Amino acid sequence: MDLKTLCEAQGLSGREEKIRRMALDACVKAFGQSAVTLDGLGSVIARRKGANSAKPTVMLAAHMDEVGLMVISATEEGLLRFRAIGGVDARVLVSKRVRVGYEAEGKPSLPGVIGALAIHLQTAEDRKTVLPIEQLYIDIGAKDKAEAERLAPAGTLVTFDTPYTPFGDGCVLAKAFDDRVGVYNLLRLLDAPYDGDLVFAFTSQEEAGCRGAVSAGYSVQPDIALILECTSANDLGETPEALQVCRVGQGVCVSFMDNASIGDAELYRALLATGEAQGIPHQIKQFVSGGNDAGSIQRSGAGSRTLALSVPCRNIHSPACVCSVRDIDSQEALTRAYLQSL
Amino acid sequence: MDILTYLQGASTQFGPSGHEYETAQWLKTRFEPLCDSVVIDPLFNVLATLNPTVKPARGGRAPKILMCAHMDEIALMVTDILKDGSLRMGNVGGVDPRILPAATVTVHCRPDSGKPQNLTGVIGAKAPHLLTDEERKQNYRRDDLYIDLGLPVERVRKLVHIGDLVTLNGPAIGLLNGLAAGKTMDDRACVGVMLEAAERLQHLSHAAEIVFACTTQEEVGSRGAKVAAHTVNPDLAIVMDVSHAPIPASRPDTTVPLDAPAATYGPFIQYRLLERLQETASLNGIKLNTEPAERSTGTDTDNVQIAREGIPCVLIDLPLKYMHTTVELLDTNVIRECGRLCAQFAAGIDEGWDDSLWI
Repeated sequence: MDLKTLCEAQGLSGREEKIRRMALDACVKAFGQSAVTLDGLGSVIARRKGANSAKPTVMLAAHMDEVGLMVISATEEGLLRFRAIGGVDARVLVSKRVRVGYEAEGKPSLPGVIGALAIHLQTAEDRKTVLPIEQLYIDIGAKDKAEAERLAPAGTLVTFDTPYTPFGDGCVLAKAFDDRVGVYNLLRLLDAPYDGDLVFAFTSQEEAGCRGAVSAGYSVQPDIALILECTSANDLGETPEALQVCRVGQGVCVSFMDNASIGDAELYRALLATGEAQGIPHQIKQFVSGGNDAGSIQRSGAGSRTLALSVPCRNIHSPACVCSVRDIDSQEALTRAYLQSL
Repeated sequence: MDILTYLQGASTQFGPSGHEYETAQWLKTRFEPLCDSVVIDPLFNVLATLNPTVKPARGGRAPKILMCAHMDEIALMVTDILKDGSLRMGNVGGVDPRILPAATVTVHCRPDSGKPQNLTGVIGAKAPHLLTDEERKQNYRRDDLYIDLGLPVERVRKLVHIGDLVTLNGPAIGLLNGLAAGKTMDDRACVGVMLEAAERLQHLSHAAEIVFACTTQEEVGSRGAKVAAHTVNPDLAIVMDVSHAPIPASRPDTTVPLDAPAATYGPFIQYRLLERLQETASLNGIKLNTEPAERSTGTDTDNVQIAREGIPCVLIDLPLKYMHTTVELLDTNVIRECGRLCAQFAAGIDEGWDDSLWI
């Protein structure tokens, strides 16, 4: 499965069916029907039995869902009011294109735009104040409330409309890198060299509060879990070096700590050592920020040792996320090399 | 003319104010099959002339009509290359900084030697964890924003120069009910009106010479139109520009409905010509709203009116929502109706058109 297809597919928290289908098909093809289950929150769990039962059970996890918008009502003029699913900064929404509704066979999603009061009509106060999501709306060109409600009823899901675009020096611009890069690499790691039990978990609802990983962690109960994620980079625009989270193009990011969990110290050292020994580009996530499924899996059931390996991403949770192909590849390479070293 | 196809093409032409050459070439090829002559003047104004098809009724001089709409677009300009390879930017025309975070742009590099190169860029903003609580409630300031080219600084320094132009990406897309949204509808949609009018005039007899002017540098003060009006030296002018359609946040007295063209009234507008325009609309079953401008119209009208010995003007407004964003939204049917109105109005101008213009 290529990254373009994964990023352009629509899959908001709780409605990950398109990504689930792709993950499920790939896992069934690799390990057979009986090795793959769907849990109560829709996460895909694929168990690859290893010959050596003395070795630890390793779980590799990535979340399938992305941030986006959800229609909640229509105005008299036929405009769609919405809420954000996941952390979306209202400041990235004005003047952007969206896809309203999931596309299906023979039924494309509706194109829509998010506009705002023209600069000519703004007061000095308007220019300063952030337009909150409650004051924004999606315009699909509906002629009135009835047409809007018929075509995009409350609950209709909305994704950013950003074609996957390679640019610069090995960079790519797309929506939903968080966490389709993890899903992409999990699928590339289905054949990873490891003779202990290896479990692949494609989790749901991370962006709604790391929900899917709670049950996935519970049903897998791994000894070790590596969470393949995407993290905010904040490395440009003269950000002081000490305040940069990580840097795009400098390799996969190894986390000692974020706001949801403290990485297992032994795993942290082992991953850094593997990176060094194998010459795989890697860096330390140097600023404590964000949180991910590692927190859920670490404290699910009887607990597991966890560590997050993240691809640095600029403008995360926006319509224009930027990642480096080198970093995406080094996430896969470091995970593979670590499994080999176990 | 298929309006959406035209808008898709028009919205992808490079033409920031003062740099309209490529758009001018593109438009020239569109007017050529419809006009008798097309020239590009030193300011890149495209002047397309349609000769009269009938002699004036009383055998005198054929009146000359200037129809104009501007083709330039608002844009950004590189003002600094930072140590990390990202770029700071300034405005060419009135770009709303609210639309910039997470916008996709094209940086048009004009290196000292070698071929011009277009680079894709993304506009990033200062990270949330670097903002104070107070700053988080405010829009980003220009210094909080930067363009990311995905390139190391050494490559950026080789390719990019201070002053290179940056255009926002946002080709037109079709929405429901014949609506469309995209960048640069202001004012290439009105250039589309002129093409539509030129097509219709192929089938109408007209005693007037009609010059279609796609003007330049409107967004920095209607500079192209000043020169175009001088060169064309018309007897009267029909200017077209976009105006604001209502949205929930707009004051009702600042907008006109999206579903029909409007005509401006006020001191800059010749009142008899306006009456004639309204009569033409009425006779042809074209809905035409009105919009006030108590002083400056903020369009090419302001300069065309005072060219040479003075030119009586009417101003037709094409309403759109979200002006100066990359999702300027309009009704393609209004473009068609505007084109019909302009064609009928021009066809009705004969010798004697000014008999009772002022008294």
